[in-house]
Amino acid sequence: MGPLIAYEIITENTNLFFAFLIGIGFGFVLERAGFSSSRKLVGVFYGYDTVVLKVFFTAGITAMLGLLFFSLFGWIDLDLIYINPTYLYSTIVGGIIMGAGFIIGGFCPGTSICAASIGKIDAMFFVGGIFIGVIIFNESYPLWENFYKAKFMGAPKLSEFLGISDGIMALLFVGMAMAAFWLGERFEKIKKPVVY
Amino acid sequence: MKPRILLAIFAVPLALIIAAVPENTTHTFKLTPSQLLEEANSGVQYYSPDEIADMIIKEDPSLQLIDVRNADEFEKFNLPGAMNIPLADILSEDWQAYLDQDVKINIFYSNGTLKSDNAWMITRQLGYENNYVLLGGLNYWVETIMDPAVPGNTSPNEEFAKYDFRKGAGMALGGAAASVGQSTSSSKPPVPIIRSKPKKKRVQGGC
Repeated sequence: MGPLIAYEIITENTNLFFAFLIGIGFGFVLERAGFSSSRKLVGVFYGYDTVVLKVFFTAGITAMLGLLFFSLFGWIDLDLIYINPTYLYSTIVGGIIMGAGFIIGGFCPGTSICAASIGKIDAMFFVGGIFIGVIIFNESYPLWENFYKAKFMGAPKLSEFLGISDGIMALLFVGMAMAAFWLGERFEKIKKPVVY
Repeated sequence: MKPRILLAIFAVPLALIIAAVPENTTHTFKLTPSQLLEEANSGVQYYSPDEIADMIIKEDPSLQLIDVRNADEFEKFNLPGAMNIPLADILSEDWQAYLDQDVKINIFYSNGTLKSDNAWMITRQLGYENNYVLLGGLNYWVETIMDPAVPGNTSPNEEFAKYDFRKGAGMALGGAAASVGQSTSSSKPPVPIIRSKPKKKRVQGGC
């Protein structure tokens, strides 16, 4: 039955419409959960507020378990799900740049738009910075191209990489999430609460 | 109760279940049985012998005739430019590039339409495009192109025009007598280069 676009049950345009609705919902919930505050977001790096970790880990395991059960019931063909291709070196460097930008600027790209839309000036600067970065990257792309495309690994899944089944991988991942949540809450207790 | 504990109560048992059950490796088919039935009944897969004869004579580069009978039958008689993919081998990796492509029009043919229809159904269910069937198979081909019946005196002019075309085509393609023992293509035709893109499309998202 699924994915809906691959099976032409819905058109690309209908998909964009659904994406629009889901995007509005995502932005709304993000804002209501306090994700438009850079102090809350960077709390995960200083250990006083690990809600970012918890939210995205929870989203990850929910989607993961959902997809695996959908596949089990024959509702979705997992082979047709798009997986971002991995270019190992650029992924590592990109991750470092993204993480540094997260700590310095206090936002990740999605939450910066969210915060800018409710009028946060620091977020508007952050969005401006994203555009400057995009322009610099694109204009100097020929310089980076070889590195950008180095160590292409296709679109491997962790389970394939480790040679275990998707289900076992899911169980390990849920275990990791639970451990991370427990650790996060321990840190929150140790650190002095920050008022913001 | 802490949200963390609540989440664990739901997520951990579900993860245990998914870890314990075998993976579902069946792939949902491209078409439901009723959709396939509808297509098969509507006859969208058929090309008439006249259309094919016209394409062969004009040396249409997009035409690829595929003989799905076995190799012996193919050796005895085949249509000009045809390649042989016996029905039993149709799922073989060797032929995938010929069947799953978006450059050529593949026309399956067999003696009747039984084998060629089977080939069409299999490729259709695999989601391959551009595969069709020669209407009536070789029997009907011989009847219409190689040895066309003279229309009656009272037939409309279109019938005579069709007869003239068929006669001409039959002569150009060797006629009934000349066709036996004909083996025009012993070597494989080149594989079409552009292959159909995998249907993996998704709008990307992220944090």
